[in-house]
Amino acid sequence: MTAMHAAGATGTAADVAGSWVEHLRAGGTTPWRSWRESHPAGPAPVPPVVPGAQQLELLRRCNLAGPVPAPLATRVLEASAPGRGRPDLQLEGAAERLAFGPPPVDPADLPDDELIRVAAGLLAEDVVADGLPDPHHVPGARWFRTRYRVTGDPLLAAAARRDLTRRGRPPGGRGAVVLVLGADLGQLLADVWTDRCLADGAPAWSDWVDRLARRGPLPPRADLAHTAASWAARVGRDRVHVVLDPAAAPRLVGVRRALATPTPLSADATELSRRVGQVLGLLAVPPARADLLEHTLRPRLAAVGGAPLTLPARHQRWARLRAVRVQKALLRAGYPVHGDPDRLLPVLRDGVEQPDDAGVLQLAMRLLLEKRSE
Amino acid sequence: MSKRVLLHVGTPKTGTSYLQDVLFRNKRVLTSAGILYPADRFDAHFLAALDLMRLPWGGLEAEAVGAWDRLAEQVRRHDGTAIISHEILATASRAQAGRALASLGHGDGTEVHLVVSARDLVRQIPAEWQENVKHRAGLSFRAFLDQIRDPERSTRIATWFWGVQELPDILNRWGHELPPEQIHVVTVPPAGGPQQLLWKRFSIAFGLDGLDLDLQAERANPSLGVPETALVRRINRAANHDLGPSDYRPLVRELLAHQTLSRRTRSPRLALPPDLHPWVAEVTGSWTAEIEQRGYDVVGDLADLAGAPPVAASMADYADPDAPDETEVAAAGVDAIKALLLEGARLRHSEERLRQELHDAQMALERAYLRPTYRWREKTYRRLTSSRAGRGLLKVYRRVRGRSSRTA
Repeated sequence: MTAMHAAGATGTAADVAGSWVEHLRAGGTTPWRSWRESHPAGPAPVPPVVPGAQQLELLRRCNLAGPVPAPLATRVLEASAPGRGRPDLQLEGAAERLAFGPPPVDPADLPDDELIRVAAGLLAEDVVADGLPDPHHVPGARWFRTRYRVTGDPLLAAAARRDLTRRGRPPGGRGAVVLVLGADLGQLLADVWTDRCLADGAPAWSDWVDRLARRGPLPPRADLAHTAASWAARVGRDRVHVVLDPAAAPRLVGVRRALATPTPLSADATELSRRVGQVLGLLAVPPARADLLEHTLRPRLAAVGGAPLTLPARHQRWARLRAVRVQKALLRAGYPVHGDPDRLLPVLRDGVEQPDDAGVLQLAMRLLLEKRSE
Repeated sequence: MSKRVLLHVGTPKTGTSYLQDVLFRNKRVLTSAGILYPADRFDAHFLAALDLMRLPWGGLEAEAVGAWDRLAEQVRRHDGTAIISHEILATASRAQAGRALASLGHGDGTEVHLVVSARDLVRQIPAEWQENVKHRAGLSFRAFLDQIRDPERSTRIATWFWGVQELPDILNRWGHELPPEQIHVVTVPPAGGPQQLLWKRFSIAFGLDGLDLDLQAERANPSLGVPETALVRRINRAANHDLGPSDYRPLVRELLAHQTLSRRTRSPRLALPPDLHPWVAEVTGSWTAEIEQRGYDVVGDLADLAGAPPVAASMADYADPDAPDETEVAAAGVDAIKALLLEGARLRHSEERLRQELHDAQMALERAYLRPTYRWREKTYRRLTSSRAGRGLLKVYRRVRGRSSRTA
């Protein structure tokens, strides 16, 4: 991208910036401020053409996290932060302060969010380059099988659908029973948000739940009464089953073994998938984007682990009121309910109330460095 | 391989829609002169710009995947001059600009010329706020001004504003690899000047002089007055939570802002507060000094960037969009309600017509069902589907018939 000044004998500020870039390329981890202090500038600074402060700080952090191979270092330095946000910033003290342009910064002062922007762009490129894994062998559909459909909690439903399809029992067919899989409302909301992050994109978790709580009603996908009613209108009420006890599901779909559950994602991993998904929207068409997130990125994120997302305590009261309303609507409508209806009520779970930018950045760097060894 | 590429990267609100419309409508004339404007619609390069800058845009980015590479390939394949134009390219980073230039053949024999059109900040600042309001923003003009004046520029509004308006920085990012004689700064003349002067300048910059082009404007980005903008801002604040982007675009931006409120031309126009003119003069002065020093080709006059002095002598006379004349806002509101009523009536009539068509179709279907042969076939089908043997027979029948009319 840019011509960089190598460290030279003149000792100008530009040269100091250039020598810092070379230091980072060689795996150095010294912060810019310390580097500047130990490499004093000359009296006549000239504007150097060096990578943005965001890219340089990301490379420094990656160096701290582990050895960074030269190709990855080059990619980091040549990357542009995608989407809206601050432009590539100059290093404070490395260039003459012009009367225009964004103010130069000390990279150490940059918020993690700015570094995540750059890292998410690189990860999105990696995901596209990796492509989709080879498809699993899917056996032919069994002739004698219980016809079913699963809906409700999008993550539970997708996992059950995939599992049953692999057992030769794809969903659909005449006279299918409809299983509305439910969870406590806090979990259900987190699952709906996670599903959106992995599909067509979502706003930040806090923005999303705050807006929901402010507006009152649940979104249709988190409203099991709405889901059940819309299916009842299509197939009749007697064929709609609300499943709150996972142990009840196998019998309803005619299998013995328990249905697979989704691999959990941590709050930070889900947030990272959201950020990568934003960039993937410009690298892959929507169906391919969703497949890449689900089948290429998600397994890598799931392997890392971490604290799951929980509903913020400030919204527990609102969620409880909404859950009680859903519970009453389901019972009033007379659907067969498998499991204790109180399982719909939000419960306090272990986890974090929102993703943490520092954690998201660590995770992003870990995935970038993992890529190197493959 | 193109011999020459003219790359117009903005800035917004400088007659870019008009330019792109003229180029698009005169594609044939341009082609006969050896000039390629590779577009299937007037703003076709918008998607390419989104792709180049990896910029999400309310879901439109899904249509942009690979658009820049396709555009660049068309340009490279053309043997002659090619023109690319979109104003949001102004915000591209240095790396993105470098990638764009390389993809167009810069450094590989193609002569790339950068064209940047610029208008004075006295008009650009209110215009940018108005664009924000027409894109759902609810922030006041004063809040907007405070954000863009903050030296940190850390907010989204400030980042975008300076990204697309700060002329020397745009020229730095886009032009650092090009010689100054290949960088053309087109200034927008002051308001009230000759009507075709801006086109004349574009024509010189793009080398279109002498071509017989149809200059009739079909596209424009109409502006709103003070009470109208205040009204749209209030609508945003009241309806944003309930009105999705796909409904906002046709109802608020198109129907209300562009088709209705922009026709109210007697209301006071949006303007920069008089107390900010000295600050703008200082900023603009530093820009023009920098541009003069760099030796770019200026088409027009850099003095145009100074802008007009304030219309209102003091803040007391200034038409403040944050404290508009409520009578004028109410009048604009009545016009808006009328437009929405007419649209509501049109949709009601449309719904009524569709309902009638649906009813007619259902009646026709029912008449078909009442035929004895249909009743007989239906009875047979029901009987067959009630037994396994019957279902097997149906399957054989469908296979023999050779059609895939399987039961859903």
